[in-house]
Amino acid sequence: MIHSALPNSSTGVSRRAALKQLALACGLVLSASSLSALAASVTPPTDLTRSKKTLLNTDQLALLRELGDIIIPTTDTPGASAAGVHDFINHFAIYCASKEEQQGLVAGLKRIDDSAQTRFSKPFLSASKTRQIELLTNMEQAADGFTADDRAFFKQLKALVTFGYYTSEIGASQELAYLTIPGGYKGNFKFKQVGRAWALPQ
Amino acid sequence: MDKNIYIVKSTEIFDAIVVGSGITGGWAAKELTEKGLKTLMVERGRPVEHRKDYVGEGVKPWQMPFRGQIEKAIVDEQHYVQKKCYAFNDATKHFFGNDKDYPYSTPKDKPFDWIRGNQLGGKSLLWHRQSYRWSEQDFTANAADGLGVDWPIRYKDVEKWYDYVEIHAGISGSVENNPALPDSKFLPPFEMNAVEKEMKTRIEKKWTTRKLIMGRTAHLSVPAPHHTAQGRIQCQARNECQKGCSFGAYFSTQSSTLPSALATNNLTIATNSIVHSVIYDPKTNRATGVRVIDTETMATREYFAKVIFLCASTLGTTQIMLNSVSESFPTGIANSSGALGHYLMDHLYGAGATGRVEGFEEEYYSGRRPTGLVMPRFTNYSEKNPNFLRGYQLTGSAMREGWDAFSQRDGFGADYKAAIRSAGSWHFSLGGSGEMLPRYENQVSLHPTLKDKWGMPQLHIDCAYTENDWKMMDDIANTCADILETIGVKDVEKHIRAKTGEWAPGLSIHEMGTARMGKDPKTSVLNGWNQAHDIPNLFVTDGASMASCASQNPSLTYMALTARAADYAVQQLKLGKI
Repeated sequence: MIHSALPNSSTGVSRRAALKQLALACGLVLSASSLSALAASVTPPTDLTRSKKTLLNTDQLALLRELGDIIIPTTDTPGASAAGVHDFINHFAIYCASKEEQQGLVAGLKRIDDSAQTRFSKPFLSASKTRQIELLTNMEQAADGFTADDRAFFKQLKALVTFGYYTSEIGASQELAYLTIPGGYKGNFKFKQVGRAWALPQ
Repeated sequence: MDKNIYIVKSTEIFDAIVVGSGITGGWAAKELTEKGLKTLMVERGRPVEHRKDYVGEGVKPWQMPFRGQIEKAIVDEQHYVQKKCYAFNDATKHFFGNDKDYPYSTPKDKPFDWIRGNQLGGKSLLWHRQSYRWSEQDFTANAADGLGVDWPIRYKDVEKWYDYVEIHAGISGSVENNPALPDSKFLPPFEMNAVEKEMKTRIEKKWTTRKLIMGRTAHLSVPAPHHTAQGRIQCQARNECQKGCSFGAYFSTQSSTLPSALATNNLTIATNSIVHSVIYDPKTNRATGVRVIDTETMATREYFAKVIFLCASTLGTTQIMLNSVSESFPTGIANSSGALGHYLMDHLYGAGATGRVEGFEEEYYSGRRPTGLVMPRFTNYSEKNPNFLRGYQLTGSAMREGWDAFSQRDGFGADYKAAIRSAGSWHFSLGGSGEMLPRYENQVSLHPTLKDKWGMPQLHIDCAYTENDWKMMDDIANTCADILETIGVKDVEKHIRAKTGEWAPGLSIHEMGTARMGKDPKTSVLNGWNQAHDIPNLFVTDGASMASCASQNPSLTYMALTARAADYAVQQLKLGKI
């Protein structure tokens, strides 16, 4: 089993310390040996050693970045680009997607840019926000010359963007609510007690 | 962990050998060592130490390179079957068997998805923890319709052993006095959420035969003192159990049975040791030990003992038995009946219905509950269902949609983001766990030529759904949809995943049978003590021993049968009978 150490500076509290804090917070009395056994020498298997292959070139990546920010914009919390969604998709697609899916993503991005040229005589990135949104809305609805395939592509794109966003630290723990260790299940609980959706499914 | 308990070669003649370290192997090791037997546990996979080796535990999605998904090239090469399991992801994959190393074959038109563990702890690290007792009606099912062979035991034979294993393991659930699903010795149940309580009220008002109750699960909702003494802590409702739980809050070999066995100082463990075959002495009519292949060096060695317990998982155990051929047993050890390899069963899953519950926008829940609800079997029990034989239980839950549901819906931008933050609508689902009939034709055998890289003949698994299964799955989907529609759930959709090829036999991960118990040595491999009819010091207590499969998750029953068989084996040993 090969795993790499996560740089401590980016995680803040170590796993062992977090578990210990939790145990005390729950009023759990643990023997010294139990506490020391908890999370003794585990390092999370975050990959820093897999090679950084990517799927998209600079222009494609810039377009994806913009699309991400249209789908999940900055509101009172950061949007997709701040959460690195475009970089994540770029890395994710080359390793986890099939050749067909990779080609589909590249072709779909081109379709969006070509459609902007056709409609507005400029690249998508140069079009106004209003026109960008109008184009994507039509694409999603398979309207104004967009086909069912285009609609299907936009769905895939949105699936990638939401996946990349809501599994990011910003998306999961700032925009939504994330409890590493919930402390138990409460069935009698009001939405307003948390005020936002949980990031992880039950 | 004390390194001295791990061995490679040994000339010691142990009192007992336990093959396998999963749900039943751990229990056999605990019981035999606690009763004073010097016991060797033989595990084909690597050691996994509680806490230390739970490398995926507590890792947040953004700390994983692909947020929990895995490189396609690795999955395609090494996990092409295991990937189908709901629990398989980047943080758990190291606890699943490697498909490349352990291939098997099936007929082209009869897919079978064999989901396996392959390390110390086996599938006890990966299981879903659902724990249900069998009822008397389950034990008499074969006798009632004449399919399969009559169980040589009844509920009363196992009842106190259920008590015994439940108290040690810790089973959370509610007392219901439902004859279809006898109550366990319970820790407090997990809570229902507001919508589930409402669904329960509506269902039970409409049908007196249908009860929606909290699921019963091997989790410490509230630990008892003996759990705390083992260093096990209250379940924190992370619902990431398959990554490993340093709190020991669910039952596994590592959290529960292994610590007990180790405390006796009677346990020795050999890991990375594939059992090739059981050694048989025809002069004494005894199994005398096991032949082992070292996974790392390919060297072979033997271990010897007075009693052998096969607990290597249903198909793992049967593979060993089929491969243990001798003049006395040319078709596999203890197989004078010819039943070895036959009567393979799995539960019928993948059929059910789901829909949207209006309202309850102010209601939510906190924590990720590690169990759903269960509706104990009413089909062909308290209700009559003439379309098919036997029956099913239902499980389900109510949840609010998360971001992933929205990803499939139209919309984007600030409003879309806000809608996701507000949590989606409530959904309520029900799905079935159906009883597959015991059939001779559902069988496993050793492939005549193909072997794995250690020279073990591969299994050939020939198992298919038949008419009764399809009818039952139809009924499950229709009944679930009918329940939901009747109680006011909207946009009800039903599904039968087996029909679309998404749920082959095996994927329910409740594969059982192939070395069945029975009264008659001519038609069964084991007697009522899980003891081989042919060889009195050979015991099989994992799923291979099952003569029928009922509709309940089986592991609790495996635990009880194991503890009972171990008790019997030790008595027999002391009486000089084996």
